[in-house]
Formats: sequence, structure tokens, C-alpha cells
Amino acid sequence: MKVALTGNPNSGKTTLFNAITGKIERVGNWAGVTIEKKEGKVKKSLNKGNTSITAVDLPGAYSMSPFTSEENVTSDFVKNENPDIIINIVDATNLSRSLFFATQLLELGIPVVVALNKSDLNKKKGIAINVEALSQRLGCSVVETISTDGNHNGLEELISTAIEIKGKRQKAPFDSSAVDMADKSAIEASDRKRFEFVKSIVSEVENRKVSSNRQTKQDAIDRVLAHKWFGIPIFAVVMWAVFSISQTHLGPLLADTLVGWIDGFYGWAEGLLGEGVSPVLSSILLDGIIGGVGAVIGFLPLIMVLFFLLALLEDCGYMARVAAVMDRFFKRVGLSGKSIIPIIIGTGCAIPGIMATRTIKNERQRRTTAMLTPFIPCGAKLPVIALFAGVFFNDAAWVGTTMYFVGIAFIILGALIVVRITGEKNAKSFFIMELPEYRFPSIKRATISMFSRAKAFIIKAGTIILLCNAVVQLMQTFNWQFQVVTEGAADASILASIASPFAILLIPLGFGVWQLAAAAITGFIAKENVVGTLAVVYSITNFINTEELALVEGASDVASVMGLSSVAALAYLMFNLFTPPCFAAIGAMNSEMENKKWLWSGIAFQFATGYVASFITYQIGTLLTTGAFGSGFLPGFIVVAVIVVYVAYLMRRGDKRATEKLALSI
Amino acid sequence: MANIIVMVIILTIVVAAIAKIVIEKRKGVKCVGCPYSQTGDSNCSCNDSR
Repeated sequence: MKVALTGNPNSGKTTLFNAITGKIERVGNWAGVTIEKKEGKVKKSLNKGNTSITAVDLPGAYSMSPFTSEENVTSDFVKNENPDIIINIVDATNLSRSLFFATQLLELGIPVVVALNKSDLNKKKGIAINVEALSQRLGCSVVETISTDGNHNGLEELISTAIEIKGKRQKAPFDSSAVDMADKSAIEASDRKRFEFVKSIVSEVENRKVSSNRQTKQDAIDRVLAHKWFGIPIFAVVMWAVFSISQTHLGPLLADTLVGWIDGFYGWAEGLLGEGVSPVLSSILLDGIIGGVGAVIGFLPLIMVLFFLLALLEDCGYMARVAAVMDRFFKRVGLSGKSIIPIIIGTGCAIPGIMATRTIKNERQRRTTAMLTPFIPCGAKLPVIALFAGVFFNDAAWVGTTMYFVGIAFIILGALIVVRITGEKNAKSFFIMELPEYRFPSIKRATISMFSRAKAFIIKAGTIILLCNAVVQLMQTFNWQFQVVTEGAADASILASIASPFAILLIPLGFGVWQLAAAAITGFIAKENVVGTLAVVYSITNFINTEELALVEGASDVASVMGLSSVAALAYLMFNLFTPPCFAAIGAMNSEMENKKWLWSGIAFQFATGYVASFITYQIGTLLTTGAFGSGFLPGFIVVAVIVVYVAYLMRRGDKRATEKLALSI
Repeated sequence: MANIIVMVIILTIVVAAIAKIVIEKRKGVKCVGCPYSQTGDSNCSCNDSR
């Protein structure tokens, strides 16, 4: 038996799906991030019948007329895939809006159960709904549910009701079958009638003690957090606090313990191998595999704390306010306010962030967002940030916070450039976003989110990072004649000979040595590799050991091993953060852009951004700190000037096109 | 003998890592380990709203 879970965005579908299937799919306290369907078997404890039930979680939709691609997924599924039952999740706190879609579903003839979700919030708000009367008016069963409650959540009743009504014919309380679907005005007239019908049901079954137009505490909080001017500084302070806790205080404290265990394991393995084992094999196992992976894993606690805090912010409804605050800026540069959703998702991993761009209907906006989303530092880039912040900037929280805001600035700048190059600077964009209510964030949900990210990090470290480190170690150990390079002659290794030509290009950026070039190159496989490769090429077993090469104490040792000034280190960090993302994310860009020209232009733009940003950081920073430009200024300046002039030329050409288009339209 | 044992250990670790990557890729996971990058019927189903 197949049960489709449908409903408006942010009505609690995935939370209910997780509760009835036992899965831990991602949930988010905002609308419009679901982009694909998910399937799972209903738990035995809820399914008292003999038949197995498959629940299909569908993206949120406001109506059966598909407006965005994810709404298309929902309407296609319920129309074409013949689910046996539809469980329509209705947000009890917003009945009038939810019932529009519900009445459309009831017209399909498929048996429907309405899950009146979030009914606990209704009670708190003093809203009472007459469930029986609602059931009679809709002509279907209505069950009150609280999908966030582990015990008295109504889910068992919901499933048993779904089993009972299987095979029964569903009557429609509102019939629009006679409406000519090719006639737009007839559809609009029918929709108006449906609204009237829904309004009549709501007025009959719902009793509100509080007038909905009265200013609430939520409105008062919004007036501050989503304020036109204060919204951004507040967001900056919030992000600084998040980085401060995760990268400066709690994170390193926990990391110290973990690194102690990794060090202990390294020492144990070293002792076990002893002197009798070939130095080549010993270095592959100890430095390449244990040391390289250990260096990356050492940052796990920092990442876990950060994701826990970000999950809390998302769950309490704050991140949706950030989207609303950013909309004002995004609209000015031709992006949709919807673009902020992929960008916020991209803080976890760029791939789902890029995938989430498919909710954007406008092709240019979608492609631009897919191209710019990787500028926001993802989870994989966090160890790189933490490493450089710790080693060169005394664990300062401002480094991570600044990187986030520089990422946002590049997104805005990039969008501005793209909208002008494409000749669409006069295009208008509109964005209506439903702001979820503030609520106390769930520690359970944040913990689940944190552990799923931690699991992902460990799997990645144990697979891709491990293999890369082993390969890097081998390439560093041998020369092209497959002879072991002698100690101190690492420049003759395979790795050095491959990375050296790239290193020349990086001289104007302040880090033109093959070791750093090699780490940047392996970063395109997975960004965590930057840390792993640096650990291997500089033979640093960990970056967080407080006794040896500490993130705080003794950090200068690591800095001196790398031979970088603080300015060059910042430039290197920016290069790794703002050049193209990992290959998997580039693959995602390819899928979402559906256009090779856009893809290659996007990659070129990302390279250009990273290169120019690093060049400016290094050269200006060096000028300010030493009184003279850094090495390779002139060739670097020529490269940067060529990039800037070419982009300016493309923008002018686009502006001309936009002016012609505007003249034609007048 | 010690060298052979170490070589076997290294090979086992490497083969296990490769096997995990291959299994994940066959499942349609775009980014190994990422819980939200598994492909569904048509494409990557990465995020779900509530």
C-alpha cells in the first residue's frame, strides 16, 4: 500500500514522515526546501494491519497547479503514480491557507485523510478547531497529530484510519471538474469560489480567541531581527558568536581530547611497527593514512559544534529571517530572494545547496545561484578555516565570520556581474516567503543534524581523504624513476614535479611553493584534502596538539614550517575558499545549470574570483604590513587587470543589450 | 614478514575505502558520506522541508 504525504510547505511533512518511518531525513523550519520525493516503510509499531505500507514524502505545494519544479513533483505523483491513500498534512495554525490545497486533492477521487498537524501549537495560541465538523465539511477523516511529540502524537490513529479507508471512493466537497483548464479567467474564477468555500468552512470550524491582526511577540522580535538596517549587523554578531563558540572555545576544547586519542593511536602504531618495517611502508601507514586522516578528523569537534549551533538557529526560525533580510540585497542584483535558501543549505554542503536551486523558476536566477552558492563556506571548508584561523590568527573567531561575509559579498558581486553580462539588469524579481513562527529550538533535531554531519565527515575522511593522502604520500616518497627520494630532496618527488608548475602561477598570491599548490589541487577532490595534504607534505601529524603544534600555543611552529606570513596565509585561505568547489559540487552545478556554456563560465568566474581576491589580499596586505608589494606583483597585476577588463567589457556589452531590449519594449 | 603484514594492512584499508566509495556511487550518492546527496528517481534528493 502506497501512501502519499502531501501538504503546504513547512506543514511538518518530513517530521511526520520521519516519525512514521523511523528515518532521519533532513527537516528545516522554513518553506520551500523540499525538492524531491522520499520513500520509507511505515514502522511496525504504527502499522497494525498485515499489509506493508510505503510512505512517500513529497515536496510542499500550495496548489495542484504546478508553479515550481518541486510542486510539479507533487502534482505529478498524486496524479500519475496512483497512491492508494493521500495523507494531507494540514498546518492547524494556518487552516484557511492549507484547505485550498486539501480541497483540490479531494477532487482526485483518491481516499484522503487529513492530518491536522501542529495541533499543540493551536492550543497554545488559543485556537480551537472542531475536528468532527471539519471532517463532515470536507467529507474525509481528520486526525489531530503532533508529529514532534514522541508519545501522544495521533500517528497510530492516522495510520489505522489510512488503512481503513483504502479502496473507498473519495467524494469532493468542492467540484471544479467542469472548469475549462485552458481558460485562465475561468480557472481564476473557480479559485476565487474555492477560496470562498474554504473561508466558509474555516469560519464554521475554527474558533480564534486572538485576532490574527493583533501584533504579537513574534512580530515584535521580527521588527528587530528582520529589520532593514539592523538585520545584517545582528546576523554578523550571531555568526561571530557561532564561530567563537565552535572555533575558539568549546570546539578546540573537545578537539584537544580527540587529538590526544589520535596521537595515542599514532604512537601505538609507531611502536608496533618498530624499526624492522620498511620506512616507505611505515611512512605510508603512519604519515599518509593515520597522520593525514587524523589531522582532518581532529577538526571534527569544531565542525560538530558549529553544525549543532547552525541547526539551532535554523530550527528556531532565525535563518528564515536572514533570508528575508537578504532578499532586499538579492533583488537589487537580479537574484531571487529564493536564492538565499540554497545558499544557507550550502553552509552544510555545497551539493544539496546547488540542488536546491531547482526551486527557482527563472532560468538565469537558477543558474546564477547554482554558480554562486559554492562561495559560501561549506562544512568541508571549515577545517581549512579552523586550521588557518588557529595557526596564523590565534584562533580568532573573526576569521570564520569574515569568510562567511566575504562569501556573501562575492555572491552579491557575482550576481551583479552576471545580471549585467546577460543583459537582464532591468529584470524585476519578486519573492514571497512564508516566515515560520519562532519556537524554542529542538535539541534532539539539532543533535541528529550534528551527528549526521559528523558521520558524513568521518566517512569522507575514511574514504576519499584517506585515499588521497595515501596517494600524496606515495607521490612524495618516489621520483619518476620510482626510486625513493632521499631525505631533504623532496623537490625531486613526483608530487613536487606535478605541483611546481602550478606553484609558479601562485607566486603573485604569496604562496608559490609546490607543497601549498599540491594541497590546493587535492582540495578540488574534497576541500578537507587541503588539511590532509598539508599534514602529509609538511609531516605534521596534527594541528591541534596543545603540546607540540597547537592551534593556539605553538601555532608559530606550524606557521614557520609552512613558511607563510599571516597575509599570505589569509590569501591562501581565500584562494581555497573562493576558487571552484570540489568536483562533486561541480557535477551538481552541471546537473542544475543544464548548459555547458554556463558551467564553464561559472568555473572560470570562480577561478577568477579566487585568484583576484587572493592577489588583492596578499599584495595590499603586504604593502600595508611591510611598505612594499609582495613578490610577483607585476605579472599578477597583469593577469588581474586582464580579468577585470574582460569582465568590464562583457558587462558593457550586456548593458547595451539591456538598453536595446528596454527600448524595444517601450 | 613484518613488511608483508604492513603491506596487507595498507592494502586492506585502501581496498575498503575504494569499496565504500564504489558502493556509495552505485547507490547514487553524489558526495560520499553526505546524508543529503542521495539520488532519488530523477535526481538528487537533498533536502526536505517540514
